[in-house]
Order: sequence, then structure tokens, then C-alpha cells
Amino acid sequence: MSTLKLLLQVAFRNLFKSWVNLIIGGIIFFATFLVVTGGALLDSVDSSMSRSIIGSIAGHIQVYSDKSKEELALFGGMSGEADVAAIDSFTPIKAALEKNPNVQTVVPMGTNGALITSGNTVDLTLARLRELYRKNSTEGETPERRTQIDSLKAHVRHLAELLEAEKETRKQLIRDQEQDPSEVAALAKARSEEFWAGFEKDPFGSLEFLENDLAPQVADGDLLFIRYVGTDLDAFQKSFDRMRIIDGQAVPQGKRGMLLSKYFYEEFLKLKTARRMDLIKEALDTKQKTIAADPLLTRYVKENSTQTREIVYQLDPFKSKQAVARLQDLLGSKETDLSKLVSEFLAVNDQNFETRYKQFYEQLVPLLDLYRLKMGDTLTITAFSRTGYVQSVNVPVYGTYQFSGLEKSPLAGATNLMDMVSFRELYGYLTDEKKEEIAQLKSKSGAAEVKRENAEDALFGEAAPSSLVADATPGLINENDQIGTNSAALRSEDLLKRVYAQKEIEAGMVLSAAIILKDPEQLEATLAELQNNQELKDLKLRVVSWQKAAGLIGQFVLMMRMVLWGIIVILFVVVLAVINNAVMMATLQRVKEVGTMRAIGAQRSFILSMVMLETVVLGLVFGGLGAGAGSALIHWLGNVGIPAGSEELYFFFSGPRLLPTLSASNLIVAFFLVVGVSLFSTFYPAFLATRVSPITAMQTDE
Amino acid sequence: MPAAEPIVSINEVTKDYHLGKVVVPALRGVSLEVHPGEFISIAGPSGSGKTTLLNLIGCVDTATSGVVKVAGQDTKLLSERRLTDLRLNTIGFIFQSFNLVSVLSVFQNVEFPLLLQKKLNTQQRRDRVMQLLEQVGLAGHAKHRPNELSGGQRQRVAVARALVSQPQIVLADEPTANLDSVTGQQIIDLMKAMNRERGTTFIFSTHDTKVMTHANAVVRLKDGKILDRVTPAEAGMALASGAEAH
Repeated sequence: MSTLKLLLQVAFRNLFKSWVNLIIGGIIFFATFLVVTGGALLDSVDSSMSRSIIGSIAGHIQVYSDKSKEELALFGGMSGEADVAAIDSFTPIKAALEKNPNVQTVVPMGTNGALITSGNTVDLTLARLRELYRKNSTEGETPERRTQIDSLKAHVRHLAELLEAEKETRKQLIRDQEQDPSEVAALAKARSEEFWAGFEKDPFGSLEFLENDLAPQVADGDLLFIRYVGTDLDAFQKSFDRMRIIDGQAVPQGKRGMLLSKYFYEEFLKLKTARRMDLIKEALDTKQKTIAADPLLTRYVKENSTQTREIVYQLDPFKSKQAVARLQDLLGSKETDLSKLVSEFLAVNDQNFETRYKQFYEQLVPLLDLYRLKMGDTLTITAFSRTGYVQSVNVPVYGTYQFSGLEKSPLAGATNLMDMVSFRELYGYLTDEKKEEIAQLKSKSGAAEVKRENAEDALFGEAAPSSLVADATPGLINENDQIGTNSAALRSEDLLKRVYAQKEIEAGMVLSAAIILKDPEQLEATLAELQNNQELKDLKLRVVSWQKAAGLIGQFVLMMRMVLWGIIVILFVVVLAVINNAVMMATLQRVKEVGTMRAIGAQRSFILSMVMLETVVLGLVFGGLGAGAGSALIHWLGNVGIPAGSEELYFFFSGPRLLPTLSASNLIVAFFLVVGVSLFSTFYPAFLATRVSPITAMQTDE
Repeated sequence: MPAAEPIVSINEVTKDYHLGKVVVPALRGVSLEVHPGEFISIAGPSGSGKTTLLNLIGCVDTATSGVVKVAGQDTKLLSERRLTDLRLNTIGFIFQSFNLVSVLSVFQNVEFPLLLQKKLNTQQRRDRVMQLLEQVGLAGHAKHRPNELSGGQRQRVAVARALVSQPQIVLADEPTANLDSVTGQQIIDLMKAMNRERGTTFIFSTHDTKVMTHANAVVRLKDGKILDRVTPAEAGMALASGAEAH
């Protein structure tokens, strides 16, 4: 006991004898600090990200088909959607999974993406006109509808006028570019008095002309990529309790419908000018930026003041006049050109932004459609089905939603929710009713099945049948049948009104299923149980944790951890080398002292413990300081929080701030690492010290 | 002297050092007996084999041939561990350059061998150390570090350290060489006093004739051989005449 005390005393006193020790100590301090803070931060990010992933779409565990070519990646992989094989029916899977006592709910899922065209202003206006004419033809004309029709017609004429002016400008700028004569003719026709005079004689024919020949010339329509998760919306909302409906309402139970992510809705479907105004306001309010100093904000302002067409095209002549009057009033200007007024109005700066922002929403927005899609509108989604055919499905949008804490995360916000039935149709999966419908249609039209080898004969042979449906790829789902003839049926409103029974929702195909556990602490155990479950093996299912199911995102923390440990390992290798060298030098300097101790009667083991203990004490003192500093930092951060600087970080922080916590494991790891490295690096020099002969004590210095 | 068993007995001992391929004989057949309570000086010019002889007696080195017996034990037959134990319990060392552990206090330096022995408890160790520090006149410096002391004080600490474990033999290699003559004299007086009071055997090497005069006997070495074993008076004469011859 006293010997240990003496050893410790020797160790402590030797600690500050050499400046080399201070350098070693410094590195140990830094490395331990890194182990503690880095470890704690990554653990905290890991757990908040797991909350984000588990709480948004993954659940604790995901199951998917074992026949899949790629691994499930719920947030998308390197190259789009992962190639996951379809599971024919969800019902047996649910039954099998629910047998596990720790499984609370099982939610069916499928992830896919599609392109949607939001339609340009002309398209949208024409569609509204067509709808009004259609109602007139069925229900008879009302004065109210007449006013609306006149207003819309005036709007289209106004648009044609704007388009012509724009083309004129463009012609002056780009001389050598030949204009398509058919486009020029179509525009001239749309501008002519005769066309509009004769409009009412054949409203549908006139509309068709405008849709086909005028609308394509306006290039403000957007092709948008939309990512959606098909699921049992009801079960989803109950299982993922961070989900909140923001606009509109939840999709009624059993009905077809979509919930758009609020983020997606704001980012892609809002009037771009308004979106940019919002972004500027947010940056000014929360990030203390200025328009003058921030290049991004400057760009937004420039885009707003140059891209006025988005606003100008939306306004019919009547609203245009209102807008001009209001803007003249606000700006105190006599300018009559709306585009110039809007441009001037939107050329905001740091001084007038607050007022302009308020004026924009109070004066201008009421005249405009703020969103390209409103709650209750129907979205036509066109997707490539699994067999390569294009499939279109109409889905009404009921509302927008977001996950609390993840409001600003593009990752969590990238996913829109869709009912399972629509998803299956877009995926290219035939419901029983559709199969039957197709069969009926076929028999009605007298379509004959024609094999590929007979196709030529059938087409060009003398006895051609009245209509032809070619079965091009026998054995696959025959979507050929649905094109043209049936898409109208699919879009019919009857389907949208239909309420599907829970059994119907569950009985069909899914791509994966999310499992929510009763006790998330038991995740590992339950995962192992499910992976070894024979029934699930028979169903050819793969069972993975949320981490794996999240794909690349799930691996993020692992990757960060590897980077951190890479740095720590390098640091400790340096520490190892430096300690080794330093102790070697120190031992050489102390040969006489060691020899004296040996002569006086110290055993080799005493010398060994002495040298080793010195390094351990060094490690513990500086490691302790490092761990202390790290703990203090984490503690402080735990109170203050680390703000998520960019929107991407919201997902990793599971909210606007990360509140890191320190776990004992981080400190234990740091302790063993420091002691281990100290011992390991000193072992050889210490061994050499034991070989010092006691004779050295007798040698004189001279 | 009719004393019983000799505490140190050396018989026909040789010691060769190997410098590369050259064999340097340091001792060439030395025989010597030292009896308990003796105060013996080993004298001779440098290179005569004084330190080598002390190393063999001190069990920090072993002979090439011949027998070295310390406290009745043949050092050649002992393991490294046992030799260390023998040094710890039977022999005390005083070095030319003091060799105190610089990071330890005076008290701790003296206490060091007792800690290694693990025979006494804290209080006993304390009493023993303080008693010795008083004897060497450094009780007031117990908490000082060696670098706060003068050379003579340091060597007195070394004397205390050598005696604290109550060894049978104390070996001192040129204990006064790094000290001025007055201080050196004090150290020899101290050693002599310890020899008288405790009956501890002292064997010290020196080339200083004044120092030799305090010894019971002077063993004179030259070229690795013992010239003779004489009284200090004779030795002083011989060396003085030798000095005159130069």
C-alpha cells in the first residue's frame, strides 16, 4: 500500500519534470476530449436521427421481400428508388408479425416516385373554362357561370396578348431564330376578333384549338418529381404520432386520397414569388442576415423582380387593372404597365422589405392563386409502372401534413402520403375490380387476343377484327389493355367516391411493412426473434432494423463514427509513438536513478510498475482533464443546444436544436482507451528500464 | 583478530571486462576477508580495480572466477532476485555522486529502502527515518528536496539511507570525492561514528590519504591485485613516498 503510494508520488512528481510530458499530455487531452465530445455528439445525433427515421416513415423494423434485388432504402438510394420486389398480399404478413408480443402495429407501405405536370397558366385557365362549359351543357347556363366564363375568356385573350408581346421582344433579341410558322399562325388566330366572335358557336372545338396550339407556347408549366409512400393512411397516422395535419383534413377512412408534405407543398406548389418572399423573411428574421450582404437573398430579390410573368399571367384583365391601381398607389407611381410595376414593387431592399412583404400578402396575393394546387383538388399522377407502361391515376389531395420537429427537413418533407389502392394502381398492380372491368370491356368490344407471332396477319390480313388489343408480353400484367380505353374509367369520379374496406386495403400488394414496437428498448431482441421466425422465412421476407431500412441516410451516423474513430485512432497512434519515444528518452535520462534503486534493492517488477504507472498517471491526469472539458462542453451544449444551421440538419437533429447528452459509456470508452494506450506505449521502454544494471549506480558522471 | 565468521570472504577472484574483442582484466586473483565491525578502506590509483571489487562485494556484479561470499552466501549461486534481496537486506550503499532520487524529499529518500523491505509499518518507518536523520543532523530538512541541499548534506542523506535498513555492511565508493576536504572529513567522521555505535561493517574506497587514516585497515590495490593489507599509518607513508617519487 505504502509502496503504491510512493510509486504514485514518484509518478506525479515526474509528471511535470519534463516538457515532453506536457506535449504528450496535451495530445492525450485533445484525444480524450475528442472521444468524449465526438462520441457524445454522434450518440446524440444517432438517437435523434433514429427518432426522425423511426418517427417519420420507417418505424422500428421494416420487412420486405427476400426476392428483392436491392436493399430497401426508404429515403431513396444512390440511384433513385431501390429495386424492391412486390409482396403479393399484406394480410398474411400482418398476421404473422402480430404474433410477436412486442409488435404493436404493422403498417403496409410502398415507396415510389412519379412526375407530375402542374400545367401552365393557360392550361389551368382553359381547364376551368371547359369545366364551366361542361356544366352549362348538362345543367343549363346560369348568369353566374356566364360571368365567370366571360372573365376567363378575357383572361385567355389577355394571355394571348401578353404572349405576342413577349414573342415580339424575343424576336428582337434573337434575330436568327426562325419562329415556327404554325405557332405564329395559331397565335394570330387566338388574337383575332373573328375567333372570339365565333367562340360560343363551338366552345369545345375552340377550347381544343387553344389547348393544342396556344397552351404549348406558354412555357411556365413545371414538370415536378413527386415522391410518395403508399400506405394505409389511417394506420399510418395512428402509428406515427409525430405526424400532424396542417392544411385541409385527413383522408377519410378507406377513401382514395393524398396528403402532401407541407414542405413539398410550400417548396414546389406555392407561387414562386411568394415562396421567395417567405424565404427572405425567414432569413432576415431568424438568421440575422441582410439582403445586401447575402448573395442568396440578393438573388431571390433579383429573380422576383425579373420573373414577373408568373404573376402577370395569372391575372385576368379585370384583376390586372385592380393590381395596377393598387401597385400605383403603393409605389406612388404613374406607371401603367403591370409587369414594370410588379418588378419595381418586388425589387425590395433591407429598409422596405417588412412593409413590402406585408403589402404583398395584403394587396397582391388576394388577386392571385397562391398555390398551384388547392386542398380538394385532384392531382393526376403519371407513373411508369413496373412493366414499363405509363399509368395515370387521379388522386384527390385532402391536406398537407408534417412531422413535428422535422418541419424544415427536406428529407422528411420529401415524402407525400397516398392511399394504398391508388399506389397499387400506379405501381401496375391490378385490383380484382379492375381485372373484372377489363374482362367486361374486352368481351363488350369483341377484342380478340392476338399473339405476337400472329400480329401481322391480324393487322394486315383480310379478315381484320373490328378492334385490336395486342398482348405484347404474355404472362405479365396486361396494362396494354388499360391504355386509352380504360384510363377514362380510372379517372371517373365514382372511383374517388368509393370507400374501400379495411380488408381490401390490406389484402393487396405492398412493397414493405413498417413495424412499431411496444417496447422500443427491446428492438435488438425483437429484430433477432423476427429474423429467425420460421413463418416469416416461409413467407420469403427480409427483416431489417430502421437503420438498414433507411438506406444511405441510416448509414450516415455509422460513416461519421468511422470518420471520428479514424481521427481518434490516428491521434492515439501519434500519442503511442510520442509516448514511446518520450518514455524511452526519459528512461535513458534516468538510468542512474533506476540503477540506484536497483542497487539499493528494488526488484525489476518495481521498476516496471514505476515506469508504467508514470505514464498511466500522465494519461489519467490529462485524459481526465480532457474528459472533464468534454463533459463540460457537452453539458453546456445540452442546456443551450446546437442550432441546426442548415435545413438538412433538422433531420439529423430531429428538430431545430440538438441537445446532446453524455452517457457513461463515452467516459468508460475514453478511460479504457487512455489507460490502454498509455500502458501499451510504455511497455517496451519500461521493459528496457528493468534491464538497467545496478552497476550504473556506481559509475561516476565524469 | 579472533572474530568468528568473516562477513565478506573473497577467494582467488578474477574479473574480466570485455571491450569489444579485447579482454580487460580488472581483478587478477584477489583474496580478502572482512570481519564484522571493521572499517576498511580500499585504496589504489584509478583503474586499480577498487570499484570492481566493491561491485562484487555489493552483489551488483559477479566474478569471472573465484568465490565471493557475502553474509555467508556464495553470490554466484544466487538468482538475480535473491541477489537483489541480499542487497536490500544486508548491504547499504553510499555513492560518490550521492544518487538521491531527485523527485523525492529527504525523508522519502531515506524511507525508500524500508518501503522496499515491507517489514515496518508507517509509524515504525517514520521513527526509524527520523532517528537516522537526527543522527546525521538533518532532521530539520526532512521535507526538503535533494536539490535544496548542499553536497555534504546530500551525502549525509545518503549515509542515512544506507543505514536505515540496518544492513550488516555499508559499501561506499569514493564517498568524499565530490566534496571539499572539510565536508569530506565530516562524512568520514559520521561513518566512523555509525561504525562505532552500530557495529556496522564499512568498506569504502578512496584515493585520499587523509581519509584512509580513519580506517582500521587499508587494503591497497594495484593493477587488479592486492598489494598488501596495512595500517593507515603505513598506507599513508607508502602513498606519500609514492607521491614523492613522481
